[in-house]
Amino acid sequence: MGRHMIAGDLNDDGTVPKRRKTSPYIAALIPLYLVMILLVIGPLVYTVMLSFATNVGNGGFSWKLTVENYRRMIDPVYRVTFLKSIQLAFLSTLLISLIGYPFGYWMSRLSKKWKKIMILLVVIPFGVNSLIRYYGIIILLQSKGVLNWLLLKLHLIEEPIKFLYNYSTVLAGMVYGLLPFMILSVYSSAEKIDWTLVEASRDLGATKTEAFFSIIFPLTIPGLFSGVILSFVPSMGLFFVSEILGGNKIVLVGSLIQDQMTRGGNWPFAAAIAVLLTIVTSVLLIASARISQLQGETRKGNNLI
Amino acid sequence: MKKKMSIALGIMLMAVCLFVSCSKKDKQELVLYTWEGMFPQEVLDDFAKETGIKIIYSTFDTNETMLEKLSQADGGTYDLIIGDDYIVDAAIRKGLVQKLDKSRIPSFKNINPLFQSFYFDTKNEYTVPHGAGIPVIVYDPSRVDWEITGIKDLWDERLRDSVALTANYRVIEGITLMSMGRSLNENDLEVLKEVGKKLIELAPNVRLIDDSTSHLALLNGEASVAFLYTSQATAALNENPNLKVVFPAEGLGVGVMDFFIPVKAPHSDAAHKFIEYILKPDVSAQCFNFLGYYCTTKAADSLVDPILVPPSFFNGEIMQNISLEADEQQNKNWVEFKAACN
Repeated sequence: MGRHMIAGDLNDDGTVPKRRKTSPYIAALIPLYLVMILLVIGPLVYTVMLSFATNVGNGGFSWKLTVENYRRMIDPVYRVTFLKSIQLAFLSTLLISLIGYPFGYWMSRLSKKWKKIMILLVVIPFGVNSLIRYYGIIILLQSKGVLNWLLLKLHLIEEPIKFLYNYSTVLAGMVYGLLPFMILSVYSSAEKIDWTLVEASRDLGATKTEAFFSIIFPLTIPGLFSGVILSFVPSMGLFFVSEILGGNKIVLVGSLIQDQMTRGGNWPFAAAIAVLLTIVTSVLLIASARISQLQGETRKGNNLI
Repeated sequence: MKKKMSIALGIMLMAVCLFVSCSKKDKQELVLYTWEGMFPQEVLDDFAKETGIKIIYSTFDTNETMLEKLSQADGGTYDLIIGDDYIVDAAIRKGLVQKLDKSRIPSFKNINPLFQSFYFDTKNEYTVPHGAGIPVIVYDPSRVDWEITGIKDLWDERLRDSVALTANYRVIEGITLMSMGRSLNENDLEVLKEVGKKLIELAPNVRLIDDSTSHLALLNGEASVAFLYTSQATAALNENPNLKVVFPAEGLGVGVMDFFIPVKAPHSDAAHKFIEYILKPDVSAQCFNFLGYYCTTKAADSLVDPILVPPSFFNGEIMQNISLEADEQQNKNWVEFKAACN
């Protein structure tokens, strides 16, 4: 504060003092830092601490330090849950990429007017709470639901199909919920492509496919990559998708944490799972960042040649 | 902070008292402490009109808050409290509850004995039940062409992929224990491991596990049998009266709410009067129809909505805390069970 009051002072030679020059920026950043410390680092530290506390049952715990919570996770049940979660996350990310990439790319090739309309259509669902949208899907897919009614009317099926409460519905739910992130991030990077490069490659005799794979695809990798992050990380933890569309039968790490927090009443164990989940996702993210970085470097190398 | 608050509250209360005593000298009052919405307003008004006792309805959100406040008040301040079974147990054990003067409650005999003599008050000295929750099996006879009579039937092969369960592991593992002829508060780890195996056998029959939508699944055709909480069962029956309720032959898990009078209740006389008033058959019926829980006043069974009449006999047990190890085993069973359901 004191610094601010003399911020107008000049040095003897009439220049603005260096140190003071940066101070207003720091002041502007203080709220951001506070938010980060209070809402991101604080809870994280607390969670890590909690994961070493001792469970006393019914949501109670004591600060007697133990590694019991981590030891418990060695149990095959929890290991399998982790593996299955990662598997589901991989599968949904793969599907999201396969659908979202072409969609985002196609959107970037539209006329200005249609671009606007498409973006609006992609973003509109965010205006409705995702829980409500998932309950809406139940109404569509249930035995006496709209889809079954339609199929019955068209005589395509004899009796209602059980769409709900299985693995593929949860997978579809994940894809449905996270697809917009992929579409938008691919779109934003495809939009920035310098089309003169593509034209040049075509002039030099590249086919359309060659031009796509040597120019367009490498240039949209950053968008694809951020889309992958935005869909992979949440799909590890979107427990309510499994709860609503999977009838709670597909146990994800997220639902495991939620179960331990609420009905199980074992907060330290929930915290330990959360910490492990954070570590696993961080490792995967760092690894994939490395890979894409390496790719970027080889690309640069290729450009030189 | 709390002290200051309570002083302020006390002053306010005194002001109210002064105001009341100005208008009428010996006007009595009753401080009733329970959840919001436990009684229909007419019942409270009628009681005030009939006895001249003014009811001060004070509310709490959770049992735990209630116990804490009651402990702070050292068993005073409140005249009459309603709480869940396990917290009543804690209050009695802490010496915060006074024995009822049954000579002042002639209608005590109206109580359904099925909801008395539980572990926390084996001699029925301290409590009067007010509403019970009994999770039951409900099924749709249009989709199940044979009669379901007990928990064991949920394992029947004919129910492949058509059973909806509540998501409370203690409840589901509890009924599994009961179907094995055990207590739902079993602490023996070996037995609990058996429960885990038994649950895995149930897995192919499970359609969904959910606390909030199981009854809807029964109504919208996703499931043909469901294990439901009382409120869900009543809601489902109101929607589709053809559904059948089964009180399982093996026994039931029961949850009860009970009236009790704190040890230093300022107006224990008024509290006794209120209990007596509520236990009258017509008033009880009015209360339970409003509350939607099973009727615990036997004399009111003929007056209350038929779906709220409990079975004439059951082997009911109340859920109690189990050991930490037992709880962890049940938790593990539950995760394995859910994973096997898919």
